[in-house]
Amino acid sequence: MNGAWTVFSKELIDALRDRRTLLVVLLSSVLMGPLVLIALSGLVASFEARAERREVVLAGAEQAPTLTNYLARQGFTVKPAPADYEARLRRAELGDPVLVVPADFEAALARAEVPRLLLVSDSANKRANAGVWRLQQLVAGFNRERATLALALRGVSPDLTESARLDERDLANPQTRGTQLTGILPFFVLMAVLYGALHAALDTTAGERERGSLEPLLMNPAAPLAIVLGKWAAVSAVALLIALLSCFSFIPAQWLLQGDSLAALFQFGVREALWFIAVIAPFAAALAALLMAVAIRCKSVKEAQASTALVVLACSLLPLVGLLNPGAEERWHFWVPALAQNTLMTRVLKGETLGAEAIGVSLAVCAAMALLGVAFVARVLRRAAVR
Amino acid sequence: MIRIAGLAKAFAGPRGTAVHAVRDVSFSAADGRITGLLGPNGAGKTTTLRMLAGLIAPDAGTLEVDGIAVAQRPREALATMGVLSDARGLYPRLTARENILYFAALQGMARDEAAARAEALAQMLECSHLLARRTEGFSQGERMKVALARALVHDPAHIVLDEPTNGLDVVATRALRETLQWLASPAGGAKCIVFSTHIMQEVERLCDEVVVIARGRTVAQGTVPELRARCGTRDFEEAFVRLAYSDEEVQA
Repeated sequence: MNGAWTVFSKELIDALRDRRTLLVVLLSSVLMGPLVLIALSGLVASFEARAERREVVLAGAEQAPTLTNYLARQGFTVKPAPADYEARLRRAELGDPVLVVPADFEAALARAEVPRLLLVSDSANKRANAGVWRLQQLVAGFNRERATLALALRGVSPDLTESARLDERDLANPQTRGTQLTGILPFFVLMAVLYGALHAALDTTAGERERGSLEPLLMNPAAPLAIVLGKWAAVSAVALLIALLSCFSFIPAQWLLQGDSLAALFQFGVREALWFIAVIAPFAAALAALLMAVAIRCKSVKEAQASTALVVLACSLLPLVGLLNPGAEERWHFWVPALAQNTLMTRVLKGETLGAEAIGVSLAVCAAMALLGVAFVARVLRRAAVR
Repeated sequence: MIRIAGLAKAFAGPRGTAVHAVRDVSFSAADGRITGLLGPNGAGKTTTLRMLAGLIAPDAGTLEVDGIAVAQRPREALATMGVLSDARGLYPRLTARENILYFAALQGMARDEAAARAEALAQMLECSHLLARRTEGFSQGERMKVALARALVHDPAHIVLDEPTNGLDVVATRALRETLQWLASPAGGAKCIVFSTHIMQEVERLCDEVVVIARGRTVAQGTVPELRARCGTRDFEEAFVRLAYSDEEVQA
């Protein structure tokens, strides 16, 4: 196995000297995660700020002193709607829904004629839409107060209008709530591993053929299996190094999060980062073997890039099964590489235990992939060298 | 001493046909002598040398290096051979020295011994100034020198070169010729040197022994004067053409 060690150290040095590629990988996959996280936090913070501002926008507020009085008592400031509020809502320039008060609101209210209010929003305008629910609650509260008063005047118990009370209890702990935002992180870690492994895997197989250095390499007394093991270990190590950087980059990224409540929700420490590494390491090794097996059949790096596009696509799309359908984990998820790691990392973020079965299955799948990949490359290495 | 007998190899061609790259090649190359494999393009020289290096398994025939059968003990055979193949790619991000030391390590050499050997080889090949440079951007001649040093790093008793002068200029070719002559001499270690070529002048100037290969077969073996005498001509090129090409090919 001396040969394997020699090949490993050489390939590692070779890959680490490829500064330009490493820089691109670092920029595209390692920095991307924290950047998206910070951008997301900015978005969430603006939602929160809007919710905390306690402002409502009314068109024709002066026609409804009773309503504005109620709103003021709830601690809300009433802002007049701009004249072109519909156009502004459509263009997403206005971030609040508008409550339109008819001209004869106050009089109609006095005559108990049930005047109609109009709530104008644009469901494509995310910020405005977020405020719709609050306005609905406010109008409902206004109605309830009026009804309670009317009933009380007639000597009827207000309880009659509410035959049952509803209390609410949210079971989500802060970490689980945090995954609504951080659910995307595992995806970035997976991408970092993928792009970390990709170039090294191609360079040590198809690249070696393209340069014409595979044939001389095999004219050494080292066994092909030892050579392949060395290459595979080096590719896995590079992928793992990128994964390591990616995972630990989330820790400093937390410091830049806007909004205290958000920072409190997102708990990603050294412990979580280490769990991430433990989950992703077998996958990095399996992916390295798979990419090498695909690339060894190709005569040039360019050809190999085309051939590995399918693997890249699968790795990018499979985690989406988890993202598109959050919470709905199924047992078969752990049999699918990439998806399994995505699910396991999501569990880490939620602060849940990973589960022995999930770990066992995903480890076995990765081990089988790595074994098959390495065996295949070792088998075809000689043939690939002379063709 | 390299001994090859009754070697044959066919590759699968398009639509189930078989391409017979080597049909019947037999020759022996003695220690302390330079043996040239001379043949037209596509005669089977490269395939023969690849089988000698254990990269391709022959369909029939035997290959022996100092009595070691390549088919049975390929790694032992490779340890006694330095092969400069047709493909001589270097690693562009490694320096010339690192390229040489990588192969030395794969040959199982100790680090200090390998480093000393790399210096000595660089001096012999007159490329000491290249050692610390990355091989990216090297000229053909510079690449060739590094590749040769890489192949010779473990001081093999047998040196096998596939078209070593391809892409070299006159000065580099001459330097290579002198190196090979020195390696075959008792002072250089009396190596057994086999090299393939399709260039007549090289064979005339360099080879102690010539093996003519054509259409996958050994058609003649002997010294240059012997082959000339056999064909009854004073011109070696004429002798080669008569040996290597069939009558129809010559007339066409």
